[in-house]
Amino acid sequence: MILEMNNIEKHFGELEVLKDISFNVDSGEVVSIIGPSGSGKSTLLRCATFLETIDGGEIIYMGEKAAHTDESGNAVYVSPQEMRKFRGYCGLVFQQFNLFPHYSILKNITDAPMIVQGRSKEEAEETAMELLGKMGIADKANAYPYQLSGGQQQRVAIARALAMKPEILFFDEPTSALDPELTGEVLKVIRQLADEKMTMVVVTHEMPFAKAVSNRVLFMDGGLIVEQGDPIKVFEDPQEERTKQFLRVFER
Amino acid sequence: MTFSTMLSTMADGMGKTLMIFFFTLIGSLPLGMIVALLRKSRFKIVRNIISVYISIMRGTPLMLQLLAWYFGPFYLFGWNIGHWRFPALIIGFVANYAAYFAEIYRGGIESIPAGQYEAAEVLGYTKTQTFMRIILPQVIKIIMPSVTNEVITLVKDTSLAFTLAYAEVFSLAKQISASQSSFMPFLIAGVFYFVANYVVEFIMTRIEKSMDYYK
Repeated sequence: MILEMNNIEKHFGELEVLKDISFNVDSGEVVSIIGPSGSGKSTLLRCATFLETIDGGEIIYMGEKAAHTDESGNAVYVSPQEMRKFRGYCGLVFQQFNLFPHYSILKNITDAPMIVQGRSKEEAEETAMELLGKMGIADKANAYPYQLSGGQQQRVAIARALAMKPEILFFDEPTSALDPELTGEVLKVIRQLADEKMTMVVVTHEMPFAKAVSNRVLFMDGGLIVEQGDPIKVFEDPQEERTKQFLRVFER
Repeated sequence: MTFSTMLSTMADGMGKTLMIFFFTLIGSLPLGMIVALLRKSRFKIVRNIISVYISIMRGTPLMLQLLAWYFGPFYLFGWNIGHWRFPALIIGFVANYAAYFAEIYRGGIESIPAGQYEAAEVLGYTKTQTFMRIILPQVIKIIMPSVTNEVITLVKDTSLAFTLAYAEVFSLAKQISASQSSFMPFLIAGVFYFVANYVVEFIMTRIEKSMDYYK
């Protein structure tokens, strides 16, 4: 098991965003999370990648506990030093790409492996060029982010995350900021990674993509996992009324 | 007094003007960054102290501040302020300009999208690495035009040193003009300031251009 999240609770002030959420991701699995906006999908991803701290529950990566709830009911994280290891397990691709505008494409991908992981320049650049080739944008290595289309920028962001060699890669609505004609090129790359058995969790509104690529679909609403299972089953024969309602909107 | 003695006396004064200018920049540019960061401190007391400091620096005349730094030690503690003139000037200028630079930096830091911090955090950069490698270079580009403005103002503000009778170019112009009943010293001083700022503008434009490679 790459990731286990058990009984996760998260609230922003009075608002309960995640209510007792539990889910696991196995090695090589692709999990899609769907659901209306405000359902807690993004927050779940941000908790899994440690951008947000949980208020209750436990997060376990590779069998090691990163956070748990103590006797008094408070969520406790491991020390900042140990945290670095856990951050290394996961990568995140943002909706807004968040490339570093002052770095060339190549440097965007090589900087963290060199600075954070202490890899050599040669090794980092070799990995970066390999990844850029895979993303179909090797010719952009010396360009700057502003010179690229949104679809290209998002592929660089994916390469940047992969260069850290994470055990699991999270995507937070990776195509929502893109023009419809550019979503295809990003989805193609994710599909390619799925074929290579990269472990991934994708929050998405692209239903056909979720259905075709994922091994499992989670439908979230109101901070709960309402329904989960095989994508064909969830999409074609949803059991819960709320799921049916949500999917009906997309069929139209 | 011949024109050439006038010119050479005033050139000496310009040297002193430039001393104030450079010492002030060397002190206030980094101090401003410290002030800007302290203003975002976790501790409320630190934030409050810093914001009061900035208010005072911006809310009172620099001329008054210079007088306070110079005469303050004498009136408060009865110190001998014989050799205190230049240090008082520099402290006064640095303290004042650091407050203005701090506000410029703060504006720049706050304009960096949260996504930049988050991307760096997920990639495992430490807080210091994030600031030095990701945030600061972008901040510098954003604030450059405002910094240029402030630096040009500083060149002209050095003339306030005349309040402490420090022999920089403006004080000398006043003295020579009075003793020689001539307006020429002021013209010379004007040309000196203009040339100095022309150079500042030239250099700052070059620096801005050097950061044009990204948007």
